[in-house]
Amino acid sequence: MSQAVKPPSLWTNMRELPANVWHSLFRNPLPSDDLQRSSTSFTNFFLHIHPVKVNKNTLRPIYTMGLGLMSFFLFLILVVTGVLLMFYYVPSTTQAYDRMLDLRGTVAFGIFLRNMHRWSAHGMVGVVVLHMCRVFFTGSYKKPREFNWVIGVILFLLTLFSSFTGYLLPWDQLAFWAITVGTSIAAYAPVVGKDIQFLMLGDATVGQEALLRFYVLHVAVLPVIVTLLVAIHFWRIRKDGGLSRPEETATPVAVSVKAVELKKNKTYGLQGFVRGPFTKIGNTPDNSVFAWPNLLIAELFVFILTLAAILTLSMMFNAPLEEPVNVMHPPNPAKAPWYFLGLQEMVSYSAFWGGVGIPTIFVLLLLATPYLDRRTAGVGKWFARERLLANTIFMTFLIVNVVFVIIGTFFRGPNWEFVSPWK
Amino acid sequence: MAGNPKFAHNKDAAGEPGMNRRRMLAWFSGFGLFGSAILSAFSNLVFIKPRATYGQPQRFNIGKPEEFPSGTRMALDTRRVCVVREGDKIAAISTTCTHLGCIVSVADTGFACPCHGSRYDQDGNVTGGPAPKALPWYKVSLAPNGELEIDKDTEVEPGSYLNV
Repeated sequence: MSQAVKPPSLWTNMRELPANVWHSLFRNPLPSDDLQRSSTSFTNFFLHIHPVKVNKNTLRPIYTMGLGLMSFFLFLILVVTGVLLMFYYVPSTTQAYDRMLDLRGTVAFGIFLRNMHRWSAHGMVGVVVLHMCRVFFTGSYKKPREFNWVIGVILFLLTLFSSFTGYLLPWDQLAFWAITVGTSIAAYAPVVGKDIQFLMLGDATVGQEALLRFYVLHVAVLPVIVTLLVAIHFWRIRKDGGLSRPEETATPVAVSVKAVELKKNKTYGLQGFVRGPFTKIGNTPDNSVFAWPNLLIAELFVFILTLAAILTLSMMFNAPLEEPVNVMHPPNPAKAPWYFLGLQEMVSYSAFWGGVGIPTIFVLLLLATPYLDRRTAGVGKWFARERLLANTIFMTFLIVNVVFVIIGTFFRGPNWEFVSPWK
Repeated sequence: MAGNPKFAHNKDAAGEPGMNRRRMLAWFSGFGLFGSAILSAFSNLVFIKPRATYGQPQRFNIGKPEEFPSGTRMALDTRRVCVVREGDKIAAISTTCTHLGCIVSVADTGFACPCHGSRYDQDGNVTGGPAPKALPWYKVSLAPNGELEIDKDTEVEPGSYLNV
């Protein structure tokens, strides 16, 4: 130690530069043993959302179908393509439509990015609904996951609102009349309906103010709220003990401790787990696997699947763009965005009950579900026999809604009269 | 703090810590902060509700009464209003469908909505289709310069005309 360490020569420094930069970026090598696998969650910013180990049930594709992840990845695609589209878009009634044409004509990959954004938006609405169905039919909203269900319902509503605000931005006939109809449905709310409509539109009718407001909501307000809530949603999955799964029914058995130097019967906390040699701990069969690489690969798989689906759709189908807005010539029938066509169909029976009353009751029921249905039987299993009643009620609501959306989308023609789509 | 002997004399008969200076200040700060939060949320609401709109004005002149001879039923589509004149009586009926906000067109029988087939009679009463209520009538008055002025912010009873 008395001898000072000779500083490396300049040549050695330069030669080792790439490796040094690399190792300063990634301090840990790719994991080759269980200790390193467990430490991926602690040493990597992007991976620290992962637990060290996940239950095998969490990774069963048939259990989650990756729907939550899919919603998240669609949101990511929407953010990226959305920010790119913002470089060319102007929220002005005189320019917006021309910018749409520019996307199609002059901007490199413009139409492709717009397609990706459009199909991801529609896809996200659908996948979020399916995700909600998965959580319901597996009873995953039960204690201790009640509040995460509530956050999920709010995220679902925000997804609808994000999609709805984006619908106006192309400023074509489809956009204008869908928003005219959609905001008129909101105006049916008692007492505050007209005020809500006025606040949303910033004017008595859909115009420049509405376009600007929807734009600000769409590109700033809603994405920030959604991002925050998604973060809480993910964080709570960890804090609520991971994804729901069936109760461990196996009787506790002794599990051999691998590391011989450890004394038997000694339990280790997480710290000992990370610092010391890896051992299997506990007295029940270990049903978990390391998040690296099992969970990571599953996530990557879902991501690639989602991206591939959106890319394929975007190559096959172009996002619709109708005639520029013509206030004098409403299309017949004027339709709201497809996910609100169930509402519009119900509005055609009763304005207040269809447009406001029933949807409000439906949302309140959804929010209250985990606090009304508190039996813990049948959690972690698709369509558990113990949950027959709850599942039947939810399925009924779901089917009624889907049927209304389908009727509104395909079976309603001019004057909102019944037409056959096969004619 | 309740366990702190220094404050023991502040406990009331039930053994609950009573009000002392520190506790009161905490309550005041709490009220202050919470109140400010509510007020600022409310001010945001006031902020985003426009006092003046930049689009179509709700009150506007449409021209001299002579420009609308008796028997006129003229729809001003951009204004979303239909000017009706019978004899010396003038009225303005909304052409925004009460169903879902489309613009109704003037028909022989009254008004018809092209979006979802709502139909109204000459006075705007619903005669068919999904519309839940009649087309509102707006206040018409004579401006000082002799022109007719329509105020879409003020609804009047159907059947109330301006005599010119």
